[in-house]
Amino acid sequence: MQWLALHLPDLPLEVFARGQAQQDQQTPLAIAAGERLIVCNRSASAQGIRAGLTEGAARALCADLRILQRRPGDEQAALERLAAWAMRFSDQVSVVPPQALVLEAGRSLRLFGGAETLCGLAQTGLASLGYQARCTLAPTPAGALTLAAWGLTDPVANHHLLRRRLAALPIAALGLGPRTEQHMARMGLDDIGALLRLPGAGLAERFGQALQTQLERLLGERPDPRRPFTPPSRYHGRLDLPAEVPEAVALVFACRRLIDELAGLLLGRQAGVQRLDWTLLHADRPPTRFQLGAAAPQRDPERWLLLLRERLERLTLPAPVRTIVLRSETLRPLAAHQYDLLPRTEASAAPDPSLLDRLRARLGNGAVRGLCLVGDHRPELGWRWRSTDEPTIAKSNDPGLPRRDRPLWLLPSPVPLAERDRRPYLDGPLDLGHGCERIETGWWDDSPVARDYYVATTARGERLWIYREMHGARCWFLHGLFGDGPSG
Amino acid sequence: MMPTAEADRSGFSVLEQLLERRSDLWRGGDTPVRSDGLPTGFPALDQALVTAGWPRNGLIEILVERRGDAFGLVLPLLIALSVQPRWLLLVDPPWLPYAPALAGHGLELSRLLVCQAGEQAPWAMEQGLRSGACAAVLGWDADWPVQGLRRLQLAAAETATPALLFRPVVRARQPSPARLRLQAEPTTAGLRLTVHKQRGGNGGQQIQL
Repeated sequence: MQWLALHLPDLPLEVFARGQAQQDQQTPLAIAAGERLIVCNRSASAQGIRAGLTEGAARALCADLRILQRRPGDEQAALERLAAWAMRFSDQVSVVPPQALVLEAGRSLRLFGGAETLCGLAQTGLASLGYQARCTLAPTPAGALTLAAWGLTDPVANHHLLRRRLAALPIAALGLGPRTEQHMARMGLDDIGALLRLPGAGLAERFGQALQTQLERLLGERPDPRRPFTPPSRYHGRLDLPAEVPEAVALVFACRRLIDELAGLLLGRQAGVQRLDWTLLHADRPPTRFQLGAAAPQRDPERWLLLLRERLERLTLPAPVRTIVLRSETLRPLAAHQYDLLPRTEASAAPDPSLLDRLRARLGNGAVRGLCLVGDHRPELGWRWRSTDEPTIAKSNDPGLPRRDRPLWLLPSPVPLAERDRRPYLDGPLDLGHGCERIETGWWDDSPVARDYYVATTARGERLWIYREMHGARCWFLHGLFGDGPSG
Repeated sequence: MMPTAEADRSGFSVLEQLLERRSDLWRGGDTPVRSDGLPTGFPALDQALVTAGWPRNGLIEILVERRGDAFGLVLPLLIALSVQPRWLLLVDPPWLPYAPALAGHGLELSRLLVCQAGEQAPWAMEQGLRSGACAAVLGWDADWPVQGLRRLQLAAAETATPALLFRPVVRARQPSPARLRLQAEPTTAGLRLTVHKQRGGNGGQQIQL
């Protein structure tokens, strides 16, 4: 068995800074745990800031240093999102707080084409999410984690080699705490090798069974069960921006990180989502919310990014954005691509939905619609808008009536027509032709109609669909235009 | 008189020789007829067009007096295209496309996509063309700048998707990159069409449908 450890040395910093590209991170920034700094960005270290300094000393070195307190909760949440993302490489991923993951990688090695490729993929993948990682492959999870934490990233092929590698590490690599470390130093134990050469019973007596167990697990002499991470059934990501962003379009970079993370989860779960809920948090305004929808469960991050760009382009922000939150709906299983035995007939295939998604993202959900028939004799109720999410009904089930003798255009509401010499008038008297159609129905609900419909021709030769009310003032109305279509 | 006629004739023969020898020269009048157009559903119109139907790729501009006019002119095309599993995208139609009538003429309603785009209409039409998911894209009017028309013509030509744009007849004087320009006006005897321009052929024909 081989284990891949991913150690994230800068995680406390990255939970704050990953919303910005590295080259844009100009402000010196350091993260402190209590009084002392634990990590800082490049721009800060260029000015002499390093881990271990007290806040006061750091400020003396660099006056414009921004110091933020570490947020362990955010780090844990980030680790869990990364664990979900890492399920693309292995079905067994474990979270090792405070800043590492370990993956069972035996089978993945062959699938991904070797240790180097796998490590490379993991590293570039994490970099695209805004995290720097050290990746080490070793035959035991504890061994891989220890080597990665110490910065040794060469893959270790077998137990023998692992023992040799570990033996060369100083005692501090075991993370036993300052008291034990001092104790060992006084005993003249300065590397793990010295520790391993001691007889086991004596070691346990002096430093406790725990250390003995730890060493055995490091070397693979004792089982080391790891609790596998269970991926969530929906994505919930949050990204704090290092500096407030005033323009919507400038959010794309940061949003991309969340989308990539989501895509990792989707890939690992063989799932897709159809809806994404975005929330943009401002300093002192209610949050801005919007949704992105796709016509079918979607996994491809590029597609989502395209939709997001369209949406952000027409978004005006009430105030600068501090934090971006992305929530997905419950993940939906993505049907594996199905190959039909017989080619599908053209009529049964549905048009490509990605155009719909693009149009809706930019123009709004209600701006793109289809049409369908409704079984009602009232002309204005004989049809309705069909949402593009609705399944198209098979033609035979259509309750409505297709009518060849109807106009191609209907006015949104009937327009009253003038009347001269008892004839309807529109840029001249209208020729009513011969025959009318009486439509009298709907007496059972609130909008009954009782009308005589005529196909009228204007002096220009344009054909109109007009009606006269049968009751009341018996007024004339224009209801439709034939658009010079073929006559019924 | 004689010398002139002779000069004419010699010039004529030089031209003939050139035409015979070179394949990249041809007479303007007899452009190669390509009958790969989409049938318009009106034989008289098919005959007047060099493509023997609506051009498959490129912008088709239909000049009308009132918004909504001449929709019936493109209906046979839409009906024929609606058998394909692709959208017929209507961007900002002037009135409600009346579903019972469209279905009554045989249009497959589930292919119809109506989009309210407002100022984004040129963008929406281009998206429709570029997506490859549309069998045809229709737009109405809008006071489009020539660059907008050019983009549309380009998108339609590159994707081999017909783009139909209805524009007010007052724009007839504006130059247009459209592949085909028609004017349509209703008369008591039916629709009268005037071909203003067609690439690879002559304009000026009048057709009474």
